[in-house]
Amino acid sequence: MSSTLEHYVNTVQNYSTQGNFAQLCEFITKSADALTKNIHHLDYVMGTLNVQQHSLGILGILCVKFNMPNIHDFEMLFHQTQEFIYMCNGEQVRYATESFADLSHKFTHQLIDRKTPLRGIAILSKAIRKIQLFPSQLTSLHSDLCQLCLLSKNMKPALEFLDVDITDISKEGGQYDAKDFLQYYYYGGMIYTALKKYDRSLYFFEIAITTPSMAVSHIMMEAYKKFILVALILHGKIPLLPKYTSQVVIRYIKPLCQLYHDLSNAYCGNRSNDLRAIVTKHTETINRDKNMGLVKQCINSLFKKNIQRLTKTFLTLSLADMANRVHLSGAKEAEKYVLHMIEDGEIYATINQKDGMVRFHDNPEEYNNATMLRHIDEEMQKCMKLDNKLKEMDREITVNPQYVQKSSGTHDDDLPVSSTKVQGY
Amino acid sequence: MPLPLQQGALQPAAEPMQVDAQPEENDNTEESQNFNVENPSIDLEQYAGQYIGLARIHRLLFIADHCPTLKIEALRMALAYSMTTFNANLYQVIQRKTHEAVSASSSLPDAVAGAIHNAPTLDTQWIETTAKKAAMKLEKLDTDLKNYKSNSIKESIRRGHDDLGDHYLDCGDLSNALKCYSRARDYCTNPKHVVNMCLNVIKVSVYLQNWSHVQSYVNKAEATPEANEPGKDSGQTVQSKLKCAAGLAELATKKFKSAAKYFLQSSFDHCNFPELISPSNITMYGALCALATFDRQELQKNVIASSSFKQFLELEPQLRDILHRFHESKYASCLKLLEEIKDNLLLDMYLAPHINILYAQIRNRALCQYFSPYLSADMRKMASAFNTTLPALEDELMQLILEGQIKARIDSHNKILYAKDIDERSTTFEKAVAMGKEYQRRSKALILRSAVIKNQIHVKSPPRDGGQGGEMSIAPGTASSARN
Repeated sequence: MSSTLEHYVNTVQNYSTQGNFAQLCEFITKSADALTKNIHHLDYVMGTLNVQQHSLGILGILCVKFNMPNIHDFEMLFHQTQEFIYMCNGEQVRYATESFADLSHKFTHQLIDRKTPLRGIAILSKAIRKIQLFPSQLTSLHSDLCQLCLLSKNMKPALEFLDVDITDISKEGGQYDAKDFLQYYYYGGMIYTALKKYDRSLYFFEIAITTPSMAVSHIMMEAYKKFILVALILHGKIPLLPKYTSQVVIRYIKPLCQLYHDLSNAYCGNRSNDLRAIVTKHTETINRDKNMGLVKQCINSLFKKNIQRLTKTFLTLSLADMANRVHLSGAKEAEKYVLHMIEDGEIYATINQKDGMVRFHDNPEEYNNATMLRHIDEEMQKCMKLDNKLKEMDREITVNPQYVQKSSGTHDDDLPVSSTKVQGY
Repeated sequence: MPLPLQQGALQPAAEPMQVDAQPEENDNTEESQNFNVENPSIDLEQYAGQYIGLARIHRLLFIADHCPTLKIEALRMALAYSMTTFNANLYQVIQRKTHEAVSASSSLPDAVAGAIHNAPTLDTQWIETTAKKAAMKLEKLDTDLKNYKSNSIKESIRRGHDDLGDHYLDCGDLSNALKCYSRARDYCTNPKHVVNMCLNVIKVSVYLQNWSHVQSYVNKAEATPEANEPGKDSGQTVQSKLKCAAGLAELATKKFKSAAKYFLQSSFDHCNFPELISPSNITMYGALCALATFDRQELQKNVIASSSFKQFLELEPQLRDILHRFHESKYASCLKLLEEIKDNLLLDMYLAPHINILYAQIRNRALCQYFSPYLSADMRKMASAFNTTLPALEDELMQLILEGQIKARIDSHNKILYAKDIDERSTTFEKAVAMGKEYQRRSKALILRSAVIKNQIHVKSPPRDGGQGGEMSIAPGTASSARN
């Protein structure tokens, strides 16, 4: 074993026992080149280090291994990584979040290249837990996990993370950038869409679209397309984007998605024939955008929406009449739709097959039972929690030295106009 | 308008400057409304007599464009009237139209037809003399104004501007007229003059169909104290004129309710505004807008029981009947009467573009009122009360229910309309839950956004694709990663 490696092992051991992790990180970053030169002896070096005690040292070695242009024994590396992520000392690796994130990204890429995304899901979940300071912190690993889940068509594991509302973002040594953020919300939106939790997926897509932006991002554009489709399925119209949406979206992205605007216009005008015509005309584009499935759901939802509108105006209606009003082919098809909608709880109605009439009912929910009250109570608790959170954030800002300095500083320049301006922000 | 040069520089001939603004203006309204009225019952002579100046010509031309039966007569009258003005351009336009109309109405060859129908030939001599006269008058007025200006007597300058404006108006040069009238503003010495100036500008702006201008000058005039003296006759006349103009502007911009309110405020005894509008016009506009937008109480209080508007309604007995029938819930005959006068209303240039909307609104209002006292109503009876078929009624009702105008549900099986008793408690709960969800969503998005901004995440212009892996350079701000 060459002296450089010996030196490496010694330094790692020394710093680790001293608890001087910041300097250790610096040292490891510097010695990456030296390690690369001795690539064949690294496994031996790893053997001398303890996963729990010398996590940073092992992390450095694994990073070097993943950085090699071609990895000859991936199975071995996979097991080493797995062991490392399961066993490593969270407190230590949090000193080198960027390397840890880098390792996870590379690991993810390798798995995707080898078409075995399923194997990484559990490991990455564990990795996120290790590196997070608290559960509502977003890391760049989140998007990797979502990608693996999507590729392996196994959505459930990601939900554990997606369902948590993010309140903070890990800086990862300045490495965390807009791409990771956008990817996480785009993939997250797709996962929720796949699980038909449209409400949540719409929220995710909206976040992706409203990310501060100075340039057109393709992720944002794709998110915008899906946003429109999901909004149509869920609400039947495109909701207004919040005021803080950046100009780029309005100016550049919207014109690029004309097809989807056409779709939504046809949808909002209840013109199912137009909608179909647009879809047939642009099948190729829609297929290229990989949105065909969503578009088909849109078409179906238009019929459902129209049937729901009928429930607002009619007490009874014959199936044939209904088919006529919502442009379905006949009583049979209408019956099928109504049946499914009753089963899914989307409308409240009974079908009388004897004379082919549908009788619509009101929502039987009367808001007077215990479950409903508990549900409302829970919702109220959530709102209160959010309110407290906002207050806390507000307090944090008011006691922030920089803020205090700035807001009190303007008082000195006897310019009342400018001081109110600052407060206005 | 490409006419910047004016004022002072002696323009000898008025002809080249007479860019025919008003035929173009007319075109605008025609294009949107391409319809023909077959059976009007208008006494053209009497109708035209209600107006003077451009208003008469515009209205006659509008009728000529939309009513084949009255076309030639209307054009002839317009032609005759145009010869009393200095507006040679308009004369030529009307002459051409008349000629076309006459020859089109006859299968005989041109010359013969002209002889039979006695189509007026182009009076070139008149055109020449008129142009000359107009130029001379313009010159004279211009020199006068110059003299006044050199003497700097404010009142005379104001009058000079007004006279010049009048002359331009007479020649049909609306944009210059507007300019002159507006210029008089600087020389107004008392409120009366201000009001006068405003009225002039309003008049020209109506001809130009510049409705926002009309509104702003109405406001301006109303702000001057002279216009607000209710005691004086002159004050009331001015008030009425302003209300009419404001009403017209609101009508043109489809704000029917405020239009109705304005028209209802004009007083019959002081209504003298033949340059724009006749008392029977006020009745029509006011009554229709009120029918379409007022609820029952407002209708009773402001229209039927209004002593001042009663006098207006006497001018149009048909409309009075319609109003009363509507109020007495005799919808079938009311709607029938409305249908009968529709042709005449369509020949009104300001009302025509809105007739269909107004009629639809009146009908909807009638449907709502019909059902309002019932808990359930037989749709067959309802259909007969509204002169319509069952399916058509069903569609209409469906639309109204969806718009939330009628709170009811249709029993299509038994053809009965049931009033819907809304469970306020449930809807409140529903709304509250939805609001709570929305609040959560917004707050969460904002908290996340503040985190995003704190971390300075934004999409930058050179895309840093794939930048996350390779580069390991440590950016400033690394220290924060070692927070704990």
